[in-house]
Amino acid sequence: MVTPYRVSYWSIESVWIFYVLAALAVAVFVFGVISHVSVWSRGARRQGIGFSGQGIFNLFLDGLLGRRIFSGDVAAGTMHLLILWGFLGLFAGTVLISADYWVYHFLKGPVYIGYSICLEFFGLMLAIGLVWALIRRYLQRVTRLERRIEDLIVPVWLLVVVLSGFLVEGVRLSAQRPEWGGWSFIGHVISLFWSDPRGALSIYPYVWWSHAILSLGLVAAIPFCKLFHVLAAPLSIYMEDRPDLPMPAETVTGDEEVFSSRQMIFFDACTRCGRCVEVCPSAGAGEPFSPREFIAAVREDLLLRHHPLKGLDWFSRWSDPRKAEKPDLDPQKVWHCTTCRACLEVCPVYVATPKVIERARSRVVEDGTQVPLLLSQTLEKLYKYNNPWEASKKNRAKWSQDLEISDLTKTGEEDPLCYFVGCTTALDTRAQDLARSFARILKHAGVPFGTLGKNEPCCGDIARRVGEDGLFEEQMESCLALFGRNNIRRVVTSSPHCFHTFRNEYPTFQALRPPDEKVHFDVRHYTQVIGELVSEGSIRFEKRLNIKVTYHDPCYLGRHNRVYDEPRKVIRSIPGIELVEMSHNRANSLCCGGGGGRMWQQDLDSKIKMSEIRIREAAETGAEIVITACPLCLIMLEDARKTASLEDTLRVMDLNELVVMALGLRSEGGE
Amino acid sequence: MGEIYVVAEHRKGEVREITFEMLFKARELCRTFSHRLTALLLAGKDAGFADDLAKRADRVLVFENDRLETFNSDLHKEILNRVIQKDQPFMTWIAHTSWGMDLAPALSVKTGLPLATDCVDIQAEDGRPIVIRQIYSGKLFSRVSFKESPGYLMTVRSGAFLPPDDAEMEPGEVLKQDIPADLAEPRKTFVEFVDTGAGEIDITQADLLVSIGRGIGEEENIATIRELADRMGATLSCSRPVVDKNWLPKFHQVGTSGKSVRPKVYLALGISGAFQHVAGITGAGTVIAVNKDRKAPIFRVADYGVADDLFKVANALKEKLAGA
Amino acid sequence: MDVIVCVKQVPEVIDADLKISREGTGIEKEDLVMHINDWDNYAVEEAVCIKETQGGTVTAITIGDDESEDVLRRALAMGADKAIRIDPGERELDGFVISKILAKVIKDLEYHLVLTGVQADDDNSGMVGIMLAETLGLSHAAVVTGVEPEGDLARIRVELEGGMDEVSRIQLPSLLTIQTGINEPRYVSIMGIRKAGKKELTVIPVANLGLSEDDLTPRTRIEEVFLPPETTGAEMIEGDAASVAAELIKIIKEKGVSI
Ligand SMILES: Cc1cc2nc3c(=O)[nH]c(=O)nc-3n(C[C@H](O)[C@H](O)[C@H](O)COP(=O)(O)OP(=O)(O)OC[C@H]3O[C@@H](n4cnc5c(N)ncnc54)[C@H](O)[C@@H]3O)c2cc1C
Ligand code: SF4
Ligand code: SF4
Repeated sequence: MVTPYRVSYWSIESVWIFYVLAALAVAVFVFGVISHVSVWSRGARRQGIGFSGQGIFNLFLDGLLGRRIFSGDVAAGTMHLLILWGFLGLFAGTVLISADYWVYHFLKGPVYIGYSICLEFFGLMLAIGLVWALIRRYLQRVTRLERRIEDLIVPVWLLVVVLSGFLVEGVRLSAQRPEWGGWSFIGHVISLFWSDPRGALSIYPYVWWSHAILSLGLVAAIPFCKLFHVLAAPLSIYMEDRPDLPMPAETVTGDEEVFSSRQMIFFDACTRCGRCVEVCPSAGAGEPFSPREFIAAVREDLLLRHHPLKGLDWFSRWSDPRKAEKPDLDPQKVWHCTTCRACLEVCPVYVATPKVIERARSRVVEDGTQVPLLLSQTLEKLYKYNNPWEASKKNRAKWSQDLEISDLTKTGEEDPLCYFVGCTTALDTRAQDLARSFARILKHAGVPFGTLGKNEPCCGDIARRVGEDGLFEEQMESCLALFGRNNIRRVVTSSPHCFHTFRNEYPTFQALRPPDEKVHFDVRHYTQVIGELVSEGSIRFEKRLNIKVTYHDPCYLGRHNRVYDEPRKVIRSIPGIELVEMSHNRANSLCCGGGGGRMWQQDLDSKIKMSEIRIREAAETGAEIVITACPLCLIMLEDARKTASLEDTLRVMDLNELVVMALGLRSEGGE
Repeated sequence: MGEIYVVAEHRKGEVREITFEMLFKARELCRTFSHRLTALLLAGKDAGFADDLAKRADRVLVFENDRLETFNSDLHKEILNRVIQKDQPFMTWIAHTSWGMDLAPALSVKTGLPLATDCVDIQAEDGRPIVIRQIYSGKLFSRVSFKESPGYLMTVRSGAFLPPDDAEMEPGEVLKQDIPADLAEPRKTFVEFVDTGAGEIDITQADLLVSIGRGIGEEENIATIRELADRMGATLSCSRPVVDKNWLPKFHQVGTSGKSVRPKVYLALGISGAFQHVAGITGAGTVIAVNKDRKAPIFRVADYGVADDLFKVANALKEKLAGA
Repeated sequence: MDVIVCVKQVPEVIDADLKISREGTGIEKEDLVMHINDWDNYAVEEAVCIKETQGGTVTAITIGDDESEDVLRRALAMGADKAIRIDPGERELDGFVISKILAKVIKDLEYHLVLTGVQADDDNSGMVGIMLAETLGLSHAAVVTGVEPEGDLARIRVELEGGMDEVSRIQLPSLLTIQTGINEPRYVSIMGIRKAGKKELTVIPVANLGLSEDDLTPRTRIEEVFLPPETTGAEMIEGDAASVAAELIKIIKEKGVSI
């Protein structure tokens, strides 16, 4: 028996042409990659790609095993795995056969048989995956998938490459008729088509060359189509774990990019899978915004502006009209996002749209001419009066008038617990009840605490969210200085927004400082504090409340900071209460529409408001009360309840109000 | 105290109301101190306003010329300067209007006479004028005196002095004056008037706003209130839920995500007084609230309150106005 | 086209409780937030817009203490090229004196257009701009809501009372007092203000200007300021609908609205 093997370039003449074509394809590929990399290198505050264990781990889970693609869509996950592994397998096969040809001839005998079988399998997987992908997109018409021309060409091209590969093999087997041919089971089946080896032989070169050219073309095309994600996505996934280095507002100059290199890699990693669109509350409410389009527009804009060829005449002839159109980089589009983080939660390649949006906003804010009026008035108020609501500082402590709460700026206590009320809670007449309730609860539990009274500043959340980083830095400085002056190291906030800003933004912004200039303090959200009081028994619910409630996860408490259980635990510890979940809860909770500065935007709502969608979902659970844990959610949902004409059937309460009710403490709000 | 000269303002063939207001107040002062009241009219040929003015002043000095058909600060300033230099009136009053604001300060520099603008009251004490003005957006009043001078200039706020219907008197004399021959060509030339009043309603400009909230209940009920507003000569505005429901277009909305308004009177019907709404009416002169809920927060910010059904009150108002 | 724009820092009073100062002729300013006079903000924006479309420079001028440099820095951040602050020291100023001081400084500058706000939201007198024009011998217009330069002329729009605008042509150089709403003033970011710190800002003490004592003597004097009558909470009007309606009509009429 002859040892099984394969002769490379069997019966192919002028092999040099192949080499020339291959070199050409590789050159185009390399050029394409370089243009992307050169755009990335324009990003602000470049970050090195150092070693990251978490990165490797994510790469393994999200890359090789497609964790995020599977979650929520097993079909998509399986399909993608078939394609990915099929592709990787064939790629490995190509590498091996090249090694076999150039380096050391080892693909012979049983090894070769094994090799052949594996390749057949990989090819089959890839083919099945691709057909499945096409079915999902064109027959099943999965809603989040688009049907643009590229979406058709890329998989079909790949499929043709795979199928033509099988054909090449079939024809070769038919012409050669080796005795081991049966192992290549698909090729073998195809080979049976020709009864006469000479017939097969005569068409073999044509088939071979077609396959070769299609394959090389595909290689060359990778950096220019969505296939580029095979390079960018792993990079993006690997880098996910790294925190954003702060970009001090000073660094944002006119010509410098506001986006970081890392974000630019994210843009290239996006495959337009549409998962973000599916979960985006803004897109969901029918607003003219979609994270996918936004990312695509930013990506195209960056590519056109920083392309290595941009100096060339013909390039600008091609790019200028495209730049002029730029429909989705409209400055007005940056305000829709509520920075709810739902998209980042599901994006398989960790595209951080909310962060990108904040950067894009900073550009609009620095330019100044296109800032929406209400927002610019709000920012003025923030600057002058340290709150987004009132042109005055005097009412900040009004909510506590009859409550006798100590003012930490006056008492000079050692290590006090500082209740940071926050602008909206302190000033909005509806939200004030949250503060009064929380104060009562702390008093009831015997927890000593104080507030900053009239001197409480804004934490900077709004400024940061809308891209006014200079203002954010000033507000952070004044907050830190105030905390420092009054020995405040323990803070509890009403608002998840203040909580998030203190917990995540302050440390990142302080990261650039020398250690001895950093101000550390411990911050908790009130739900955590009440949760603790309930656990340790300082709060005990005795009264039965026979009501059915549902809980709305505020984005900045849940998704951004992973506090899902404490509020639920507190609710459940009230005897008699029944807690039902809405269809969107915890990590896939639906935004009320109030975050990310949206509260101070007008005319962005579409026919139906985000808050209305959410309140209807709450109503569907049959609950009598929606509990939330954020002043903005409280206002938005309260408002939506009226708009949706649910006033008689559904109430909106803050968790504090519920606790006060369950404890039988006096409360004036919540109806 | 001596003679008062009042500069008449007219536009498109009509004397502006402010002119009569100034003449009314000036006559009151002139009567007290028994001095002559002179109206100054700079107008196009045969404008025919002189007689109207003569009914309210002791005499009218008329400068007629085609170039004076519409206001021109250069020409007005030149002519008035010569009149003032020649006659040396004790006070010269000009309307505090866009034109008056363009004229009076320049005239003050030209004549060297001190000026006080936007006066809501004018008195004379010890032979010198004293005026009352509003400052800080009307949050405070000030009493202003002048440096000793042969004459004084002031511009007068419209609506500050309201003449009764029978303000006319024995007609004074009308004296045609010659236009100085050596008047320089004005540096500004009139092109056209453009009417901006048409089009969408601007609730920020209204003196009286009738504002409806969710208490209106149903879209059909808006017609009732619109009728009331029309009868009162008021502009209709609303709270956000009314806009959210598409019952009224967005430009009617008052509040943080709508408009800040500053009417003299704001009549809130069925509005609870949510913070975002109330923030838009801090500039209102007087707030009157009608709400059936006696505990509604709107009553905390309102000057007057009616705790009753808004339709009952609206209908009663309509009847009263129809009867009047 | 070179534009000079005069700006002023004023206390923001919209939602503030004003307290009358001890002398009784002014207000306590300690607790008040100072900001650029609203009208001046529009004037600066207009100046910058003109520069952006026509080329040229923008110079911002204010009279005030060193704190009032804030408004100049803001103007610089909006796009002005240089700024001048005239320090009046302890001098008492009125509109007349201010216009004389400004005229003395502006006289020696290059310009085609001088813009001021219609009035300042402190004394609300609205006379500085036009007095300045007359002193400099410039053509002028007040309450302007539109400016389109046309060579040696400018086509301007003046807002009259009662929903009417007057369009006219005015010879340059000219002084226009700018009305709110003429444009949408851009947002000025904190960063922008910090960066504007690098631009040129000259300070001139009034004493160095060599103005005569007569020019520096105010023509008017505030003898006294006083509060309008206080209002507290809602006065509830009770009774049957008809009497309530009669009462309401009376109140509305009392407040100067004719119905
Ligand atoms: C970000 C944000 C921005 C907002 N911006 C604005 C804004 O700019 N402007 C604005 O107005 N709101 C705004 N809101 C909404 C605001 O919070 C309130 O929901 C809204 O102002 C309430 O409107 P309302 O008073 O008409 O309705 P409600 O609060 O429902 O009040 C209706 C009132 O009518 C009374 N009433 C009912 N029937 C009668 C009757 N027959 N006779 C007499 N009285 C009756 C009731 O007692 C009640 O007090 C905003 C909300 C958010 C969250
Ligand atoms: S951003 Fe992420 S979730 Fe959205 S389309 Fe791109 S890859 Fe998919
Ligand atoms: S953060 Fe939320 S609102 Fe913003 S794009 Fe993502 S899903 Fe949409």
